[in-house]
Parts: sequence; C-alpha cells; structure tokens
Amino acid sequence: MRAKTALRLAWRDSRTAAAKFAFVVLAVAVGVGSLTGVRGFSRAFRGMLLKDARTLMAADLSVRVFELPTPAQQRVFDTFTERAIGRTWITETVSMLSAPQLAAPILVAVKAVDPAKYPFYGHVDLAGGGPLPAALEGASVAVSEDLLVRSGLKDGAVVKLGTAEFTIRGVLTYEPDRMSGSVNVGPRVMLTRANLERAGLLQEGSRSSQRFLFKFPSGQADAMILTARKELVGVFPDAVIADYRETHPLITRGLNNATTFLSLVSLIALVVGALGVAMAMQSHLQQKMDAIAVMKSLGGRSSQILQIYLLQAVLLALAGGAVGLVLGAGVQKAFPILIRNFFPIAPNVEFEWVSIAEGLGLSLLSTLLFVLPPLLEIRQIKPILIFRRDMEGVPKSWGEWWVEQRASLGAGLLICLGLAGMASFLIDANWRDAARVGGWFVGGLIGALVLLAGLSWVLLRVLRWVVKVPGLRLPALARHGLANLYRPGNRAEAVLVAFSLGVMFTLTIYLLQSSILGQISASAPPGMPNVFLINITTADRDPVTAFLKTAPGVEGDVVINATAGGRLKSIDNVAQSETNLTGPAKRFLRARTVTWSREMPPQTQVVEGKWWKDGTPKEPEVSVLAEPAKILNLRVGALTEWELSGRRIYARVAAIHRNESVRPGAGAEFVFSPGALDSVPMLYFGAIRVKAAQISQLQKVSFDKFPAITVINLSDVLDRVQEVIDQVALVVRFISAFAILAGVIILASSIAGSRMRRVREVVILKTLGATRAKVAAIFSVEFLLLGLVAGVMGSLLAVAFTNVLLTRLLDAKFQFDWAPNGIAIFGSALIAMLAGWGASYRILDQKPLEILRDE
Amino acid sequence: MANPVLHPAVRVRELHKSIATATHTVDILRGIDFDVPQGQFVAIMGASGSGKSTLLGLLAGLDTVSRGSIQLDGEEITGLNEDSLALLRARKLGFVFQSYQLIPTLTAEENVLLPAELAGTAGSVGERARTLLNEVGLADRRDHYPVQLSGGEQQRVALARAFMLAPPILMADEPTGNLDTANGAHVLELLLNMNRKEGTTLVLVTHDPQLAARADRRIHMRDGVIVSDES
Repeated sequence: MRAKTALRLAWRDSRTAAAKFAFVVLAVAVGVGSLTGVRGFSRAFRGMLLKDARTLMAADLSVRVFELPTPAQQRVFDTFTERAIGRTWITETVSMLSAPQLAAPILVAVKAVDPAKYPFYGHVDLAGGGPLPAALEGASVAVSEDLLVRSGLKDGAVVKLGTAEFTIRGVLTYEPDRMSGSVNVGPRVMLTRANLERAGLLQEGSRSSQRFLFKFPSGQADAMILTARKELVGVFPDAVIADYRETHPLITRGLNNATTFLSLVSLIALVVGALGVAMAMQSHLQQKMDAIAVMKSLGGRSSQILQIYLLQAVLLALAGGAVGLVLGAGVQKAFPILIRNFFPIAPNVEFEWVSIAEGLGLSLLSTLLFVLPPLLEIRQIKPILIFRRDMEGVPKSWGEWWVEQRASLGAGLLICLGLAGMASFLIDANWRDAARVGGWFVGGLIGALVLLAGLSWVLLRVLRWVVKVPGLRLPALARHGLANLYRPGNRAEAVLVAFSLGVMFTLTIYLLQSSILGQISASAPPGMPNVFLINITTADRDPVTAFLKTAPGVEGDVVINATAGGRLKSIDNVAQSETNLTGPAKRFLRARTVTWSREMPPQTQVVEGKWWKDGTPKEPEVSVLAEPAKILNLRVGALTEWELSGRRIYARVAAIHRNESVRPGAGAEFVFSPGALDSVPMLYFGAIRVKAAQISQLQKVSFDKFPAITVINLSDVLDRVQEVIDQVALVVRFISAFAILAGVIILASSIAGSRMRRVREVVILKTLGATRAKVAAIFSVEFLLLGLVAGVMGSLLAVAFTNVLLTRLLDAKFQFDWAPNGIAIFGSALIAMLAGWGASYRILDQKPLEILRDE
Repeated sequence: MANPVLHPAVRVRELHKSIATATHTVDILRGIDFDVPQGQFVAIMGASGSGKSTLLGLLAGLDTVSRGSIQLDGEEITGLNEDSLALLRARKLGFVFQSYQLIPTLTAEENVLLPAELAGTAGSVGERARTLLNEVGLADRRDHYPVQLSGGEQQRVALARAFMLAPPILMADEPTGNLDTANGAHVLELLLNMNRKEGTTLVLVTHDPQLAARADRRIHMRDGVIVSDES
C-alpha cells in the first residue's frame, strides 16, 4: 500500500474521531509547550547574554579573583596599560550599614568603583537621573532602592559604613553588571575606592571579591583579546575570566543546570501526555476492532493496517507538536515575569528552527514510543472476530503467549531506551554523564509509574471491596458512583497513574522546598550557630573572641576559624598537574580552602597517624580528611607542597582524619599545624549561637566596637534564601504544573471517551425515574473519587520520595505536614470534578427517546 | 501457478475445527470433504450451531484449521501465514456478511474503494466503484455514511465492495439474514445478477430454503458434518 493511500485511510479514520483526537493533540501539546518554552527561553536568554555580553559585563573582558593581585599579576596589568588597554578595578564585599534611626545594622552588598571609568559599557541609572560621579563625590554613597524601602532611610540620610560616615546621594535603579557580580546578598551600597578604604573595610583578612574590567582599543578588540586572555590565564589560574565573545561562565553554568532540570520536569509532562496518547489509541483501536477485522477479511495485511494507524499517530503527534510550539511561545513569555526579581530582563521570544525541530521531534518520538504497544495489538486481531467473539477466551500455551508478547516486551524495552535517549539529549553535559543521569531519570520515572500503577490497582480494589462489605449500606448514589469507576473503557487505573504522577511531582517539589526552608529557619538544631561573623582581621581575632565570650546571649563555644585559599602543587615531589584525576576529583587540581588548628576539631577522629600534641611541631604538618586523602592517594608521611597566596609551603602529612560534625568550618579538608601558615594571610570567620532576642543587640554592640566586622543574622540571610528558593520553586512549580495539566487532559479524554456508555446509562436512569440532580450526583461521586484517589496516591508517593530525598541525599529530617497534603488531595478532587464535568456536562441534556429510538 | 481449468475453485479435505475453552474442547467441524467447481453457486445450509459460518470463515482463511486441507483455486491455504492469507483474499475472494460489516467512518464509496486501496490497485478504481454503486442503485448515496443508510442499502454497498476487485470466488454469510423480505429479495437478485455477470464462484451460507433453492447445489450440515450434498 502506498503511503498516500495509507495517509488517506488514516485521515478518513481520524475525521470521525475529531473530539477524541483533540484531547490527544492537547495532551501532546502540553508537554511540548512546556519543553519548548523552557528550552526556547534558555536559548533566547543565552542569545541575549551573548548579544549584550559587553553591557552585562560592563567591559570587553573581566577577571574575578578573591585576592589582591600579586606583583607578577600586576606586571601583566602594566603591560596592558602600555598597549592602551583600559582597566578599572571593582571590589565587592558584604558589610554592615548603620544609622542612628536603625534598631540594628543592616547587611549590605558593598561595591567600590571608579566612577570616572566604570562602566566601560552600559550605564548606571540613578533615580534622579544624575551622573554617577556626582553621586559618589566626597563622602557620599549611592544605594539601591530596596535599602531605603527596608530601612525607612531617605535620600540624603547619613549612614555609617565600617568606621566612616557617608551621605546617601543617589538611588541606584540599574547597574549593567549586577548579574556578573559575585556578592548579591542584601541591598547595594556603591562608593568610590577612596571611600571604601576610608571605611576600613579592606583590612587583611577581609573577604572581598576583586573584579578587573578591561576595555580594548576600539577596532582592535578581537585581535588583542586572545593574547590578553592567554596572558591572564597564565597568571590567574584560579580566576573566573570572561570576555564578550562568550556568555558569562557562571551565569551560563547556572542557566545550563536550570535548563536541564526544567527540561526533565517538562519531559515528565511529555511522558504523561504520551501515556494519554497511548490510552486514547488503545481505546480507539478497541472500538475499531470490527473495522480492522473487516479490513483483514478484505485482504488487508497487519502491516498495512499498522501503517494506517501509525500514520495517524504521526499526524496527531505533529498536530500536538504544532499546538505545543504555540503554547511554548506563551511559556517563554511567562518566564521573564516569573524571574523578574533576579533578572529584570526580557529576552525576545523568537521561533527558531532548532526549537521547532526539537519540539516536533520530541513529540513525535514520545508519541510513537507510547503508541507502539497498542499498535502492535493490531496484529492480534483475527478476521474471524466478525463471526465469533468467543475466541478471546481460549487459553494459550506459554509458547503462544511468548510469541504474542515478545513484540510488546520489545516495545517496552524500546520505550525505556527511547526515554533514556530523550532525557540524555535534554541534559546539558558530556555524553557519559548525560547517559548516566538520563538512565537514573528514566529508571526513577518508570519506577514511579510502576508504583503508581500498583497503588491504583490496590486502591481501586479496596473501593470495590468497600461497596461489597456486608452490612455496609452505602447510599445508592455513592454506590453507583463507585461502580462507575469500573465501567468498561473507563481506564480508571491509567487515568489515576497519569493524574497522580503530576500531583506527586508538584507536591514533592513543594514538600522539599518547605522542609528545607523549615529546617534552616528552625535553625537550628540546638547548638548549631545562628550568627556568623566575617571580615575579621588578624589583629581583631583575639579581641573579637574575647568580646564574644562575654557578650550577652552567646551560648556555647566561640570558635573563630582561620582559612586561606591555595593549590596543592605536588605530593612527594610529583607535580599534581601530572596526575590523572578525572571527574569530580579534578577539583583538587584547583584552589582549595585550608585552615590550621592547634587542637583536634570537635567530633574529629584520627584514622591514621597522629595529631600534633602540645604546641607547634618542628616542621609544618598537615592532617587530611579521609575522602581527599583517598582520592589523592595521600599517606601519612607524604610531603605536600602548597602555593597559598603566593607563598610556597611544604608540610608533611601527619594524620588522616574523619569528621562527623555539620558545624560550619568543621569539615576542613586540610588542617595545618600551628605556625605552618604564619606567613600566609588568613581569612577569619566566626560561627556562634546567640539567643534570638539578643541578636540585634549583639549586632549593634559589635558594630560599635568592630565596625568593619560583618555580623550576619542567619534569619536575615534566610529571608533572602527564602526569596531565592520561592522564586526557583515558583518556576519549577509552573513547569511541573504542566504534568498535572496533562493528567487532567487524560482524565477528561477518558471521560469523553466513555460518552456513549454514559449517554445510555443516563437514558436508562432517566427512563427509570432518576432526576437530573440524581444523575449529576452519581457522576460527581465518580469524578470526586477519581480525584481523591489520585490525590491520595500522589500525596503518599510525594511524602515517601521527599522523605527518602531528605534523609538519604540531603541529610535533613522530614516532618509530615497535613496541610499541603490535604490541599493536594482535595485540590485534585476539585480539578477532577471540573475536568469530568467539562468533558461530559452535555450528557445530562440527553433526551431518552432519541437514544432509545436509535437502539 | 494454479490452473483454473484443472482445479476446482474450492477443495476441502478432512477438515476439522475445535475450540479449546478454559474447561473443555468443542468440536465445531468434524471431517468435512467437498469440491466446488469453478463458477458454481453452492448454498451451505444448516441450523444455528451446525458449523456453517465456521466453515465459511475457514474457507476464506479468516481462521486457522485444526486439521485437514483447504485449496482455493488449486492453492493450499492451511499452511499460509496471516499476511499471505490476506494477500490471497485480496486476490481471490470477495465477502458479503450478514451484518454488512461496513466501516462506519467511511462513506459508501470509500467502503467500496477499500479493497482496491488495500490491494494497492492503481488506475480508475474510483470509476469502478461508482459503476458498482450505480449497479446496486446507490449512485446518489455514495457520499453517505453507513449510519445514514438503511439495512438494505448497507448490504448493497457491501455487495458492491465484494465485487470491487472482480474476485473469482465470492463468499456470502446469510447475506439477507438481517433484511426484511422485500429488501432481502432485492439484495439477492442483485447478488445473483452480479455473480452471473462477473462469472464468480459463489459459496453462500444460509438457513433460508427459498434462497438455497436458487443455488446450483445445496450442502446440508448438522453438528459439524455434511449430512447431504445435492445438486
């Protein structure tokens, strides 16, 4: 049979099933829409990052480090100046801002710039419209609007930052490189470098990020940038270096991760939709069994008939894909609204061929994979069906069963492989990682589907059992409604699986989000720190420790940790660069954080060697955490060579240790002996527990005594964390809601598919005297039960998954909360009710005689 | 290659058909033997449950035999796989069912065209379909769906469909069984006229003695065996 003929027959078959297939198209469209929306936005965002790279970086090239340049690095900068390459230096740090009218100091993100040069590209906008140099002139600063909103301060107010006082003389409404910056905790305070130094915030031991922006002579940027970048990579091996020819690496990494995650969430919606297509196709083929038998008796081969329905599936997938592309454009439009707090930008929504091909390709692939099992059943339809239906009951031998089922089992395997392939395709990683994660994703998804199928089977049987319990007199309407769940062709189990998968996923996201936040904000397992002190200088270390030990409200130990950053250069004179570290182990080739300690940190256990005792060992020593020791093959007695802030340090491994503590700073990988790091500039931070009511007081007193030290109240950071998590969760929920939508469409499709049976039932009920209200009540019970059961299943599995994820992966505790689960269950019932009546409300208007006459 | 002169249109030898249910085995046909020469009109008669419809289904290769042999136009069909049987039906068999078996989603003309489309027949199949519809008196109903046609009209469409590829053998299962007397007579006349015109071998299952009386030969069945075979 020619393709044209098959297409014609497929079209003829489809035109009388338009309503049924409209649901199929919608079910496919939902998944495709969500997927193309996510990926289209990601592409548009990436395109915008590239197009506006100069503005978003405020430069042609930028280098970001956490230390001041060494003489060697400075020399490279000097050669740049000789080549007429413009340079400006930005320092970002966090600090405390105070004012007489404030009850407690506020955590702010400080940014020191040279307003004469900054920004090289783009512009800084101030509320009054004035120039930036004027706003930063003299002892003045510019602040972002949220600081004024949060503190109640006005433009012109006098504030104290570090040890100096400043006047607010400008309200920042836009900075071009805000996204490329590194310190975005708290409102912005912008000032000149001279003022930053005057505030005393840049002492040795302060934690700050240095960004160097470069502008190349116009017309020569392309030619010069490659050489300049090479030179910079040579002297700044640990820096984040970006130039305008690429998207910013940090933003790109975040974008890639987010795109991968949301794509996989969308794939769930696509799979739910494809399940719906498979269900619809199976019910369609069941209705067409006689027609297929007739075609076979007229000389049609199984392969020809399969071709007809395969083409039909292709047409449906393409139609669903096309509608999905339009829906995807809407999703793309919605994204900027969802993330506007972080990225106040709106990339252009453009239909690209790649997105179109990807959307149509994935819809086609998922649809074809899932319709394969029902299509293969065509081969089992015997033409003799026209004469004898009792053939169906004939028992089959194992051999016959295997011959019949092996194709279906093959199709099942193909579905798993196809899904893993699609997931791997959507994961932005090398093929090995993509295949691994794709495999896990599909394994989890299939596992969830099997679990849900089993659960729905059990729950439906429990309901059936309830109806039959002797002595239990359920109202007639409830009995009818319950019985309807087993109506032939109702496919309650499949509907429940599809619907509850969406509920489960969305609820899991919510439960994870609320559990993690709840955990952090309760802050607090007793004894865990809730106040952090940063930017402690070496000179301040002991006075701060003494102050904290006597400060009111401080509970437990006062621990000030010392850290420094640097690289492990060699082990026993074998250079690290020559070792074959792969995967996550490669992190040991980059800069690591090290510390020193006299005593063994709490909850530490030496598994090999000995901790130094009583004072300073003769030679520098180091104790290594067990995991890195294993990866680096470090043994006790090995000689390690380090480069720490430009200083070369040699230390022999004295011990290998384990640490069970979750206290910040406790899990240091490399702990040096006292005196070993004396020549290295250290960063100090403290983590203490303070009675909640006395935190503000501590901040105020600390600010008066040590104005350059930043005292961070965990709950302030949590507000920010909450905002971030809420925003992320909103995006995830938005996308995961598509899975629910796909489930709802399947539910509606299934109800619409059983319309004829319902019509006959309504007619009989009405003929026997049932009122319209009674018939409506019967159907309502059915829809409500479907929704409730789906909600219960989704909720049960969401609780189980969240529990496993929290306790096994995140090392957190799970606490059951009735409210979200109750909302999910009753919300599902309500949605099912709406979808059910949406698909069948006209049935109630059916006049009995019209149907009875036809019969 | 089968030779129409040397071989009968249908040859059946020692034909058995049993169906195993969950509890027991039912023998529906228990050793059937007969030949049907080319061009003959044979009526297979018997009460309900005598096995006549099963026999017709087996003759058309719609079901597998338990034992025995069936040759259509000299070609043994019992060993053929499903696709080969389908191809054979497309080439050699026309079918008329008691309950018409039109595809409800196709119009009258599309139903008639279906065998040609399945066989991949090129050329003026549309014209042939319209001619056949004209012959059965439904030229003006060709765009109607089965649900818009009466029983008699539906069976006339089924007749046109059966003759679409001018098959050498036509099988008919109670073709007038679902029709009233007038419509039944009309359909029968059409069937016999078209059969004569196309020179087809006709195997017809019926329990109607009046219809059977029009046949060249009558085979009576009871409990799965032939009890009489008269010309």
